[in-house]
Amino acid sequence: MIQAQSLTKRYGSKTAVDAVDFTVQPGRVTGFLGPNGAGKSTTMRMIVGLDRPTHGSVTVNGKQYREHKAPLREVGVLLDAKAIHTGRSAYNHLLAMAATHSIPASRVKEVIELTGLDSVARKRVGGFSLGMGQRLGIAAALLGDPATLILDEPVNGLDPEGVQWVRHLVRHLAAEGRTILLSSHLMSEMAVTADHLIVLGRGRVIADAPVAELIGAATRKTVRVRTPYAPELAALFQSADITVTRTEADLLEIVGVTAADIGNQAARAGIALHELTPVSASLEEAYMALTQNDVEYRTGGTPDDPAAEHSAADLQESVR
Amino acid sequence: MTTIAPAPVRAFVPSGSGLSFGGELRSEWIKLRTVRSTIWSYATVIVISLGMSALMSAALDLGGREISAAEQATFLSQPAIFGVFFGQLVVAVLGVLAVSGEYSTGMIRSSITAVPRRLPMLAAKAVVLFLCTFVVGLISTVGSYLMAVPFLAGKGITASLANPDLLLPLLGGALYLALVAVFALGVGAMLRSSAGGIAASLGILLLLPIVLSMIPAQWLADLLPYLISNAGLAFFGLNGFTSASFETWQNILIVLGWVAVSLAGAAVLLKRRDA
Repeated sequence: MIQAQSLTKRYGSKTAVDAVDFTVQPGRVTGFLGPNGAGKSTTMRMIVGLDRPTHGSVTVNGKQYREHKAPLREVGVLLDAKAIHTGRSAYNHLLAMAATHSIPASRVKEVIELTGLDSVARKRVGGFSLGMGQRLGIAAALLGDPATLILDEPVNGLDPEGVQWVRHLVRHLAAEGRTILLSSHLMSEMAVTADHLIVLGRGRVIADAPVAELIGAATRKTVRVRTPYAPELAALFQSADITVTRTEADLLEIVGVTAADIGNQAARAGIALHELTPVSASLEEAYMALTQNDVEYRTGGTPDDPAAEHSAADLQESVR
Repeated sequence: MTTIAPAPVRAFVPSGSGLSFGGELRSEWIKLRTVRSTIWSYATVIVISLGMSALMSAALDLGGREISAAEQATFLSQPAIFGVFFGQLVVAVLGVLAVSGEYSTGMIRSSITAVPRRLPMLAAKAVVLFLCTFVVGLISTVGSYLMAVPFLAGKGITASLANPDLLLPLLGGALYLALVAVFALGVGAMLRSSAGGIAASLGILLLLPIVLSMIPAQWLADLLPYLISNAGLAFFGLNGFTSASFETWQNILIVLGWVAVSLAGAAVLLKRRDA
């Protein structure tokens, strides 16, 4: 379990992490999300004592990281920046890390096999690809068989097989009762990996909820309806809190009514429906909706959202 | 898909061996021996020392003069320890790289994550670097002595290793090399940069004595014996670089003082700064 209490980090006048409180529970995968510069990496660095908090504190299993007698067995960490001497072989790097905690060489061989590095373990790290570097970072994090795993962008640079492997690995480790804190910008991956999400924006926690709840709260449910009588059906749903979008000649997307209601009303009006599908929003949409006001580094000149919604009235204008 | 409330999972309890200073020493030993710069540096120290010894002892021309038994040990020790003057520059570079290499590659984050109290890591680094450099220093001075023996024996100069006038300079040269390496380690840890650390430590070892002696001010001249390289070269009897102003033990204390200041500065900054 990781607990942060009014955790704050300032660099000069810039506040990277601003009085953040959160708890990461064992037994599940907690996703750590936020735009670039939101303070995710700084928070992770403070958890393992690389950066000193300006104010507040963060503990792992009730103690500050540096107070533990076997830190590598408490927390395994993969940071976003490279943290490996380029002139040393992967095997020797892991061996040196392991030696501090008297972890046997057999465990070093184990994590090398587990991460699929057997063929390059004796080669110098300087020549490693991004993906192999990530695998070595994950191997180092697993070295102490830690109760808590903190992975910053672990799938960055991994091939699809590697991405899937990381997903199964962290789900498996969480099921063993370990605490997993994982950051990633790949929303689709996060949606299938994480159980719970903590979203940071400009150094503050803007959401801390289970994945399903977060998606539900941030977006409204859409129902996709296919019918040859699209204008007629759209006319049935003229209301301020209902949005109807006509995406194709015979296809409507309706937000604000349940699929059952649409089916019932269409039946009463004698409108034939060819398709009636509730569409759940993606984590990506939920995330965008949550963080739109908290993006630190916004790309300039973004065109308007192509999927801009029209009200039922607008739609009727256009179909006439 | 229906959502099933997850069964409460019992938190995983870690087990197994923990941090120990012995383990940290082993870790630093692995780190030191598994980068190429270490092997190259130590090989350079030994080769230069052996080469210097061969050159000096082969070129020695006594002009038919008889060397007294008391002086013979000194005549043998000089070529044996002459290489230390060059060796100190190489081990200073190695000492800086032993820590600055961790900063430039990001390795320091792994090191500090493994040893989050930080100071034991610095201490382990210093101990391992000291011991390894001392052993390499001893190999190079004793090896250089053995190199000089056949050349000088032909000129009527012999001395046993058991003779303190010969043995103490050989040990002292190795000790000085080891202390210089640790001094440079502290400088490297303070500056966290290879280029800056090497420039600073070579500047203090090599340039400072020259610059101070060029400025015509008596108080600066009075400082000269207190410089690390002057005190260091004097304490094991490498003549010709400084006047013998102090007793051997005083010179050793001066060098230890430089090492202590360097390590203390490194410790304070390592503890205080974000990694």
